Order: sequence, then C-alpha cells, then structure tokens
Amino acid sequence: MAGPLAPTRTPEETVEEHGDLDRPWVTIVWNDPVNLMTYVTYVLQELFGYDEPTATTLMLQVHEEGRAIVSSGPREKMEHDTSRLHAYGLWASYQQDS
Amino acid sequence: MRPFRRKGDELVARLEPAEARILALLLDQLEQLLTADAEDVTGDPVLDRLLPAGHRSDPELAADYRELTESSLRAGKADDLATVRAGLPPDGGTVRLDPEQATAWLRTSNDLRLALGTRLDVQEDTEPPEDLASEEGQQLAVYYWLTGLQGSLVDALAAGRAGRR
Repeated sequence: MAGPLAPTRTPEETVEEHGDLDRPWVTIVWNDPVNLMTYVTYVLQELFGYDEPTATTLMLQVHEEGRAIVSSGPREKMEHDTSRLHAYGLWASYQQDS
Repeated sequence: MRPFRRKGDELVARLEPAEARILALLLDQLEQLLTADAEDVTGDPVLDRLLPAGHRSDPELAADYRELTESSLRAGKADDLATVRAGLPPDGGTVRLDPEQATAWLRTSNDLRLALGTRLDVQEDTEPPEDLASEEGQQLAVYYWLTGLQGSLVDALAAGRAGRR
C-alpha cells in the first residue's frame, strides 16, 4: 500500500512512458527532393545487403509513399542503422513501431 | 566533364579546370560549415540536413542519438572530404579512384548536393536553370552539374556490383 509520499505515477503512465517492450523498433527512410533514386537504391544494397529488386522496391516506397521501413530490431541496432544512413546523407530516423 | 566510368577496378572521370576549381571551393565551404563554432551555425538548415535528428518526436531520444553519433558522423565526413580533396587535380584533369576512394566521393558529392539543394530550396519538380546570369541560376547550374557527376559515379558503382554477381 503506497503512503502519501509514494510516487503518484500510475501503471498506465509507466507503460506509456517506456513504450510497449514487445513492439520492435524500426529505422525509417524519408523522402527528400535531393537524393537520387539510383543513389538510395545503391545505399540500401550497400548497408543492408538487400538484393537489387528489394532495394528498388523500398526506394520506390520512399519516393511514392514518403517513407519506408528499411530495418527493424532492438533500439540500439536501429540507432546504429540510422547513423549509417546519415553517413550516406539519407534522411533517416528510428522509432518504436506503431 | 567526362563522367565517371569503370575501368577495371577503378572509377575514372575527367574534370575541366573550372570544374575542378568549383569543386575545390565547394569542399572548402562544406569544411567551414562542418568545423564552425556551434553557436555560429545553430539552426542552420544545411547543417540540420547533414546531421539530422535521429528521432523525430522524442527530444530526449534525439539528444541521446546526437551525443552517441554526432562526433563519428562529423569525423567520417571530414575523412571523406580529405579523400576527395587529395584525389582532385587542382587544375582539372583525370580523377582516378579505387573503390574506397569512390565511396568517399559518393558521400561527399551527395553532401554537397544536399547543402546546395537545401540552400536553393530544390524540390522534386525544380528544373535546371535557364537564366545563368543570376547568382541563383549559377548555383543551380552547379547543383545540376554535381548531380551529373554523382549520378555517373552511382551508375558506375552499381554496374560494377551487378557485374560481380
């Protein structure tokens, strides 16, 4: 039983604050007007080992839908993937999948 | 310019003297931006594009990401820039790159396009300039010249990779 000095945070808030641990993290590439389509395809192959058709499909998804998930996994891995994409100038970010 | 083509394991292009000088100037400008004091360039849209936020909605995660990655991203860009500068004939001529140097040229030419494209607010439907008398027209012409240079390098590298399979 919590006394008057116990934190008032409810379990619901805790879940919201830390996110659902079961939901994976993802790395997203966003569309931008500068990066060449051929370059985006090349970089996705280079960094993630995708074959050419897979990389092209992801590139087209970025181009047409504005974004594509290019990798998923633990948060630290997604941070790393995002920084590798940033090193190549792709417009990337990571987040917990919704 | 003779665009990049694959010759054996090398990527080879040829730059006119004026093209080599413009590229050298752009490298200097990129270096200045990347090495500027933080207070002088806070909020600069080009720097925000070259070193973007890792997380879009959580400032705490974005700050963590920056702390974790920014110094190595900056170091990588500085290394690439030095590689490009070392391989650039100052008065024009042949550029000859091994695969590792080619990757540095690929990333740096992309950074230059991102920097110019952001400054000039290039959109997907932006057309090459017709008016070369204005300063913006000239800068846009440089942007499109860089697009041709980088595009030829991507194509040559991609063709090489397809050939290895």
